[in-house]
Amino acid sequence: MASPGKFSFSFSKFPEGGLILAIIVLGLLLAIFGGTVQLPKFQKNAEGKQERVMTKNANGQEVPAFETVNKFFNPKTLVQIAKDTSFFAIMAVGMTFVIITGGIDLSVGATYALASVCGAIMLNHAGSSGGIGGTLFGILVTIAVGVLGGLLNGLMIVAFRVHPFIITLGTMAIYRGIAFVQTNGQSIGEFPEMFRGFVRQEFNGLSLVPLVVMIIVMIVGGILLAKMAIGRKVYAVGGNETASLYSGIRVGSVKILVYVISGLTAGIAAMLSLGYYGAGSSGDGQGYELNVIAAAVVGGASLVGGKGTALGALLGAIILQMISNGLVILNIPQNYSQIVIGLVVIAAVLFDQFNAWLANRRLLAKTGRIKKEVIASSDIPVSTSPQTK
Amino acid sequence: MIRKFSLTVTSLLGLAAATCFAAEKTYTFGVVAKSNNNPVFQAAKTGAEDQAKKLSQNGVTVKIDWRTPNEEDPQKQADAIEQLVNAGASGISVSASDANKLTDAINKAVESGVPVAMFDSDAPKSKRFVIFGTDDIDAGHTVMEELAKEMGGKGVVAILAGNQNAPNLQKRVQGVREEAKKYPDIKILDAFYHKETPQDAAAKVEQVMQAHPEITGWAMVGGWPLFTDNALKFPPGSVKVVAIDALPAQLGYLRSGHVQVLLAQQVYEWGTETIQMLYDLVANGKKPEQEFVKGKLIPITKDNVDEFAKNWEKWLPKR
Repeated sequence: MASPGKFSFSFSKFPEGGLILAIIVLGLLLAIFGGTVQLPKFQKNAEGKQERVMTKNANGQEVPAFETVNKFFNPKTLVQIAKDTSFFAIMAVGMTFVIITGGIDLSVGATYALASVCGAIMLNHAGSSGGIGGTLFGILVTIAVGVLGGLLNGLMIVAFRVHPFIITLGTMAIYRGIAFVQTNGQSIGEFPEMFRGFVRQEFNGLSLVPLVVMIIVMIVGGILLAKMAIGRKVYAVGGNETASLYSGIRVGSVKILVYVISGLTAGIAAMLSLGYYGAGSSGDGQGYELNVIAAAVVGGASLVGGKGTALGALLGAIILQMISNGLVILNIPQNYSQIVIGLVVIAAVLFDQFNAWLANRRLLAKTGRIKKEVIASSDIPVSTSPQTK
Repeated sequence: MIRKFSLTVTSLLGLAAATCFAAEKTYTFGVVAKSNNNPVFQAAKTGAEDQAKKLSQNGVTVKIDWRTPNEEDPQKQADAIEQLVNAGASGISVSASDANKLTDAINKAVESGVPVAMFDSDAPKSKRFVIFGTDDIDAGHTVMEELAKEMGGKGVVAILAGNQNAPNLQKRVQGVREEAKKYPDIKILDAFYHKETPQDAAAKVEQVMQAHPEITGWAMVGGWPLFTDNALKFPPGSVKVVAIDALPAQLGYLRSGHVQVLLAQQVYEWGTETIQMLYDLVANGKKPEQEFVKGKLIPITKDNVDEFAKNWEKWLPKR
């Protein structure tokens, strides 16, 4: 413990420090080794639209102007990475709640697809010229379907006392199946322009809406977990379910709630995706559950339960996306990114276990030391061997 | 603490190794096909890379930046297009898994000064300057024309039609029906729809054959059942079959005599042609005369199947 008045910083008090360090190092590497790229210059014209900046070449001809920027460290690439991350990161925050209780939600990708398809049908019904009413109803349906999907998962897990892996494996197929039946495998687009325009709106050429939603979800998730009673209950259930039960926690309700939160985040991600990409289909989010779980795990959530944070989930998702985009920036064939991501996930878990083992040893050593100190400070003679004078 | 180092070190190693591969470039064309798991797109990739080598001369270097998702995922395709723009690509060639989802990404690329050419599957409402692919109505006509030749201009034809909501397949069916009108002794029984998996397609053929033994010809507007072994239970030649696509797994049916003609799309040219068109536009300011450049369908029969199969050996990556 540092003495008062002295500057002190302990990584143990800020578990995401390592993740931030990893992101900084990754960023530095990409900025240094990614090199530069020439991008066309743009400016806003009188109508507020982006247009290319023109310049005159040696022969006096008008040619488009280019600017040289760092391939990684430029606002467009950074915001692009954040945008690409946001869909996974939002779901990873929800997944972290589930993983903290020792559960798993394999249906998150399918819930995302079902919410996306149901929302798409409603938004398509409102049409491209749809007003605020149709838009809000579409958004509401998307999120409500996500919540409902999560609620069904939670109810079945608690009522049937079946492992979440099995229930969510089943609902993964069911939800995607319903989405397919609803759409016959076709993509549904043509949403209210107002909705598309809102999600895709750009500030100086940067799409910030998905990024902002991601940060809001992370903050709300973080407050729920760290500052509210419900957060403590979630950790307690994951830490020791039996003890939680005897201490009066309604374990069933907590479990249902975490799946509802996971479904809710899938619904929010689906809503953003509808707005950004402009269509929904039953094939959406295929295999995303694994990326989401990977992000939560790299972010420090323990599959045994009892550990994980919302900020960690977000940072875990950013690290995975940075590796994926980073390899592309470095012109590496994309399949290598899968190998690297796989290695990072395994390495993160292995070192987490190693860390836990080390902490445990330190604790044992400390307990041993305290025991000795207690004995030494007491009046009881330590040695009982007979003394002769 | 160790965890932090682990992440840092793992990421560091991955990226440090990666930098060894980085190289200089002059024109870089991104290619975003539908999926890496489909051999037609592997052929397109080989085509694009071969064309890049061909164009790389006299001080010009052309590179291909292949950004195709492993499984079909239009969201990843849209992200890839945005990433390519940020990475300074000179142009992008795309085959859309979902036109709705890609239209905005394509438009944004074009507005950022990166032209987009499309192949195989179009995003018609986008600002792409060209689409190179099969004209579906023409394809339907060709299927029926070849089938009529094989059937001697008479008999009962069933159409295998895939997903009834897919607009491109509807057009192919329309083409088959239109062409069939030219043959008074050919009767179209019906178009039969099914889920587009090899198993579902094979099951559909079997069901229809049992219910309608009078069928003497199958016009398959996609070659779905031919991806499974033993999909066609009738004796070779007793029922004539013409199908679109001639992928390696389908060629055995030509050799066994179950299928008379497979109509191969110009999958290698999806790569060569779109890269050439992008290069012409970016380097020489030359646009193709038409927005829709029609690809041909090459008839593959028992006679030329072995020669055609050698193409696939060149097109597919070596194991």
